[in-house]
Amino acid sequence: MLKLQDLTKAYRTDEVETVALNNVNIEIDHGEFVAIMGPSGCGKSTLLNIVGMLDTPTSGHYYFKNEDVAGYSEAQLGVIRKQHIGFIFQSFNLIDELSVAENIELALLYHDIPASERKERVATVMDKVGIAHRAKHMPSQLSGGQQQRVAVARAVVGNQSMILADEPTGNLDTAHGQEVMGMLQKLNEEGTTIVMVTHSPSHADYARRTINLLDGHVVTESMRA
Amino acid sequence: MFNNYIKIAIRSIAKNKLYATINILGLSMGLAIYLFGGLLADYEYSHDAFFENSNRIYTIRGKVNSDANVGVGQIDGVQSAVGPLIKAELNEVEYVARTKIREFLISVGEDNYYQNLRFADPEIMEIFNFEFVYGDKSALQSSTGIVITETIAKKYFGDENPIGKTITLDHEHDLTVAAQIRDLPANSHFNSQIILSRPLDILVPMNAMERITDFVPDTNWGNTSMGDLTYVLLPISLDQEWLQTQMDGIFERHVPDDQRQLLDGFLVRLMIDANTAIWDMLGIPVITVVEILGFMVLIIACVNYTNLATAQSMGRAREVGLRKTLGAGPVQLLAQFIIESLTITFFAMALALVVLEMIIPLFNSATGKILAMNYIDTLPWLLMTTIIVGVLAGSYPAYLITKTNPIEALRDTARKGGSASWVRASMIGFQFTLSVSILASVLVVYAQNKQVEESSNIFPKDQIYTLDRLNVEQMEDRHEVLRNEILNIPYVEDFTFSSQVPYEQTSSTINASKILNDFDATIVFNQLNIDHHFADTYDIPIVAGRNISRDIAMDTHIRERGAVNTLVNEMTVKELGFASAEDAIGQVFYEDEGERGITTYTIVGVMADRNILGLFNVVKPFFFFMRDASYRLASIKISQNAPASVVQDIEDAWENVYPDYPMQGKFLDETFQATYIIFEMATKSLATFAIFALFLASIGLFGLAAFMAEQKTKEIGIRKVLGASNNQILKLLIWQFSKPVLWATPIALGLAYFASSTYLEFFAERIGLPYGMLIGAGVGGLLLSWVTVATHAFNIAKTNPINALHYE
Repeated sequence: MLKLQDLTKAYRTDEVETVALNNVNIEIDHGEFVAIMGPSGCGKSTLLNIVGMLDTPTSGHYYFKNEDVAGYSEAQLGVIRKQHIGFIFQSFNLIDELSVAENIELALLYHDIPASERKERVATVMDKVGIAHRAKHMPSQLSGGQQQRVAVARAVVGNQSMILADEPTGNLDTAHGQEVMGMLQKLNEEGTTIVMVTHSPSHADYARRTINLLDGHVVTESMRA
Repeated sequence: MFNNYIKIAIRSIAKNKLYATINILGLSMGLAIYLFGGLLADYEYSHDAFFENSNRIYTIRGKVNSDANVGVGQIDGVQSAVGPLIKAELNEVEYVARTKIREFLISVGEDNYYQNLRFADPEIMEIFNFEFVYGDKSALQSSTGIVITETIAKKYFGDENPIGKTITLDHEHDLTVAAQIRDLPANSHFNSQIILSRPLDILVPMNAMERITDFVPDTNWGNTSMGDLTYVLLPISLDQEWLQTQMDGIFERHVPDDQRQLLDGFLVRLMIDANTAIWDMLGIPVITVVEILGFMVLIIACVNYTNLATAQSMGRAREVGLRKTLGAGPVQLLAQFIIESLTITFFAMALALVVLEMIIPLFNSATGKILAMNYIDTLPWLLMTTIIVGVLAGSYPAYLITKTNPIEALRDTARKGGSASWVRASMIGFQFTLSVSILASVLVVYAQNKQVEESSNIFPKDQIYTLDRLNVEQMEDRHEVLRNEILNIPYVEDFTFSSQVPYEQTSSTINASKILNDFDATIVFNQLNIDHHFADTYDIPIVAGRNISRDIAMDTHIRERGAVNTLVNEMTVKELGFASAEDAIGQVFYEDEGERGITTYTIVGVMADRNILGLFNVVKPFFFFMRDASYRLASIKISQNAPASVVQDIEDAWENVYPDYPMQGKFLDETFQATYIIFEMATKSLATFAIFALFLASIGLFGLAAFMAEQKTKEIGIRKVLGASNNQILKLLIWQFSKPVLWATPIALGLAYFASSTYLEFFAERIGLPYGMLIGAGVGGLLLSWVTVATHAFNIAKTNPINALHYE
């Protein structure tokens, strides 16, 4: 599905150059569930942002579906991103002024899909994540777990083939965390590729492969039996 | 501690230069308008208050018949026949005094000057407590005694005691100085007049008027002029309402029917309000409006500041959180933020004063008022205003930021208040409504004024040089000598005498009838005394019949003859009911001149209609005849390529003919400008206001955009992650920013439509409502709003979403 080759990302301020990713080589196949772990500042989020095409590498190659997107413009990346990639964030990032259904529908608004079909797909995905009874509620009326379920629904409503989750359970208690992880696992079983950044070893266990980062390097890769 | 606050405030201002500049500019606009309104109101209200009896001196004003078509609703005086009636019929009144201003050539020793004299009833000395340097209030009792002011005494007699000195009017009538009074303060109605500035210089007894001018004030119903006031002093026990009732009675009983076509009532008014009379003519309480507007503009400026400061303070939540964790209490934080806004207000006030110092002289020269900023007296007011504005504007953002929980602030998850956003949006909408409607009105007013100016070009006003004050008996013998001298000057094409020239806003009318001895249903005609060169000089074609001529005896009006040949304009032909100009030739009409008998006018020629009065007047029925006397003016037509020195040649010719009289010459264009300046002033002051208002509205919108930018960063980030392109985001933002402007525009255009139709009512020759301009103003407002928010919108749209969504 994607392949990172000698990928480097450096941030430059006036005098100091900070290397966030240093010659990273990673390959992720279609249908994989990959966890990325490592201490704060190791480059996890930078990696996820580049994979999610929200950021561009300084050097190296990024093959997405056999296409090298490393040199693509923001607009070109945007087109690929909206077709293939869904995002889940630690802080949910729902829009406070929109209802649950409207938040989910937002992901379809930029896809030229007729309103009737949008409604249908939003209803389906709400059923799937068990939030249909809250369709008209505003985000502030929901618990954290429920909000994250809305975020998951939003990430997959466009039939994205890959979900990038940045500490999806970081703001949730254990029970709600388990619930969200179960949902991701189910999506993975249905064929969605999932790349997740996490601090929690137990949640990393849901993944079949774990990549450990330290100071911008991949230090270990382990496969679950 | 305090120094520390100031230091932080100044550093914070220096760090956010753009915001600080906008804040200071916005507040200073608000302050400048507010201060100006206050200053103007204070000036107007303190006017004439220093006269001892100021609260019981009244003036009698004329209410103008709306059919009279003169463009104003009231005039400040009434006919001079009214004063004696009040004196005779109202015993309760303490004193009545009329004034009448006339210009004369006066001679003091060998020197000649043109000088305004104010004829007045001697009771004026009882009504007003003038301060005497020499003499006393009996000065006007004799018919040759006059009262002069200090300035005039100095001008004509140096430092000598002027009592007993003589001045001569028109080389003929001697008057003797009987008293000298101190100059009156600038803010007295005697000194300030919007249209003609004619300060109180010399008082002459009213009973000298008939002797000097052949004008009979006590019985005259046919003459009213701006600035000729009638004063009444009432005892304390009687009030304005009583006098009004009495005046209504006098109007009913005494005013001749034909005079009611001009004035249809008397209005009683306190003298201290006389200076605001000009505003009343427009029918709006302008001073109150200016005051209220000034205050509202200041409030709007404060709200704009608050908006912008609140938006900006969100970026500082972190700083505040940090200060709190380090132990800063709410009081210290509040103090810090309020001192910051006080510092901004202080700078704004300084700038506002600079702006005022620039505006006041312009205003003064345009209105003839004498406003001045007195810093010593107004210092407490200025300080209080600075403090109140600073505290008011700064307290909301200060409160908002200091109440946030430090942990939330540090985590930057603080909820950013959205409930008040409709209030902000409405404020912006309101500001745009105001400014777009003013802008649209300015455009309409401007277009109408242009129309007035263009249609005034029907006369070659740059090519006609006029000479004034020729209707003096001693000068009349040499009129023809003057004509010949001037016609000899190269580049002079033509020369004519007349009693009036175009654009002079005075008119002399007669009531004429087509049927002899039937004067019940008469027609009002304007009359103009001209000579045989008038039509040529002013390029007015004769459409039927012939021009008047010196060679035909009956073309010259001689009173004793009771008949004269006359030219009329096409409008008169229509009014008299003739089918065509040709049909009118040879026809007659009559004027009943009372004791002098009936005059018969025979039409020998018809002139094309030309708007002689111009400006806001319609073309009126005119008839023109030649009476070789009472020509007040001469008009000299100069060829287009004439050098500037031709005026000097004219002056030399004048010197040869009339060495004893100073020449009073000017181009016709100046006569036009004298009245046109009022319309121009209206455009200019409206335009100034529109610029201020638009600027303020833009600042408001900029603040709103900055505020929304802060609020929307997260939402935009999410939308972008979900696949929205930069263009889609830009469109969304522009749409959101434009919403208040969009709903404001139709309201604004409605208001402008109403306001400009009212303005256009003043004019006879109206432009059609320029819909294009109205819409242009709306589109202009919208474009301006886009330019204002474009940078913000563009910056938000292109930010990388990860900056907004990052959880750390």
